[in-house]
Amino acid sequence: MKDPFEAAVEEQESPPESPIPPEEDAAAVADAVDGDEEEADARSQPPASAPAGAPAAGGGGKGKEDDDEEEEENMDVEFGKLPSGGDPDKMVKMQAILSQFTEEQMSRYESFRRSGFQKANMRRLLTSITGSQKISIPMTIVVSGIAKMFVGELIETARFVMTERKESGPIRPCHIREAYRRLKLEGKIPKRSVPRLFR
Amino acid sequence: MHNSASAGPPAKPRVGSSQVSEASLKRKRGVFQKDLQHMMYGFGDDPNPLPETVSLVEDIVVEYITDMVHKAQNIASKRGRLLTEDFLYLVRKDPPKLHRCTELLSMHEELKLARKAFDVNEETLATAD
Repeated sequence: MKDPFEAAVEEQESPPESPIPPEEDAAAVADAVDGDEEEADARSQPPASAPAGAPAAGGGGKGKEDDDEEEEENMDVEFGKLPSGGDPDKMVKMQAILSQFTEEQMSRYESFRRSGFQKANMRRLLTSITGSQKISIPMTIVVSGIAKMFVGELIETARFVMTERKESGPIRPCHIREAYRRLKLEGKIPKRSVPRLFR
Repeated sequence: MHNSASAGPPAKPRVGSSQVSEASLKRKRGVFQKDLQHMMYGFGDDPNPLPETVSLVEDIVVEYITDMVHKAQNIASKRGRLLTEDFLYLVRKDPPKLHRCTELLSMHEELKLARKAFDVNEETLATAD
C-alpha cells in the first residue's frame, strides 16, 4: 500500500500553485480566495469516511499560517483549484488522497503549497543581479517558481542521501552538499562559464 | 586618542536602504530565511530545519538564480532586453519546470483578467448607485 503522501508527490506533474500576490487589491483578492478556500474545505468534508482529523488539521494549520498570510499577501491553498486544473478524474484522486492524510502529512502538504519566495525580495535580488530596473512581474513569478522547484530537488535528494546513510533527524549541511554534488553530476545546475573567484 | 563608541567593525548596514538599493554587491544574509524554512519543511525536512542548513540552501539558491540569470542575459543580449521567455528557454529541457512556469504564467493572466472584470463591475455598481 503506497504511502498517500508519496502518491501525492508522484501526482505532481503539474505541481500546485505558488502564490501570485496581486499588486493592488491585495486584501480584496485575498478575501475572495479565502472564501473559496472555506467552501472547498466544507466540500472536502462530506467525503467523511475520512477522519475528521484531516480537515481540522487543515483548519488548525491555516491558523498558524495566518500571521504569515498578512505579510505574504496571497499564500492561500486553493483546494478548489487543485493541480489537476479542472480535470475531474485527477481532482477525485487528489481529494481521495488528501482525505486520508494524517495531521502531520496535511501540515507538511500545506507548507509545501503555501511556501514561496517573497516577490519583493526576489525582485530586489534580480535587480541586483541584472543591474537594471526592468524586472517584470511575470519574470519574478517564473524565477520564483523555478527556484522553488530547485529547492525541492535539493531537499528531496538530501533526504535520499540520508536514507542511504541510514541517518535520521533534521537535514544537515553535509547532506545538502552531497545532494548538490549529485545534482551537479546530473547536469541540473547551470555551469558557470567564468569561475567564481571571490565569495 | 581613540574614542570609538562603536562596538567593533561596522557590520553590514541592516537598514541602509539607500546603500542596498543601488545594485549593491553586499548581499544581506537570511533574506529568504523565513520562506525557506517553510519550504524546506514542505519538501521533507524537519518542522524546524537547522539554521546552518537553511543558510547553506539560501546560498545555493542565490547562486543558482544568479547563474541562471547570467545565462538568460547571454541569450537575451543577442536580441536586446531580458525577457521572461529567456527563462522559459533555459528550462526547456526540464519538463516539470517548464510546465510549472507556463502554468504559473497562465494563472497570472487569468487573475489579471478576473481583477479587471472585478474593477469594471465595481464601476457599474458605483454609477448605478
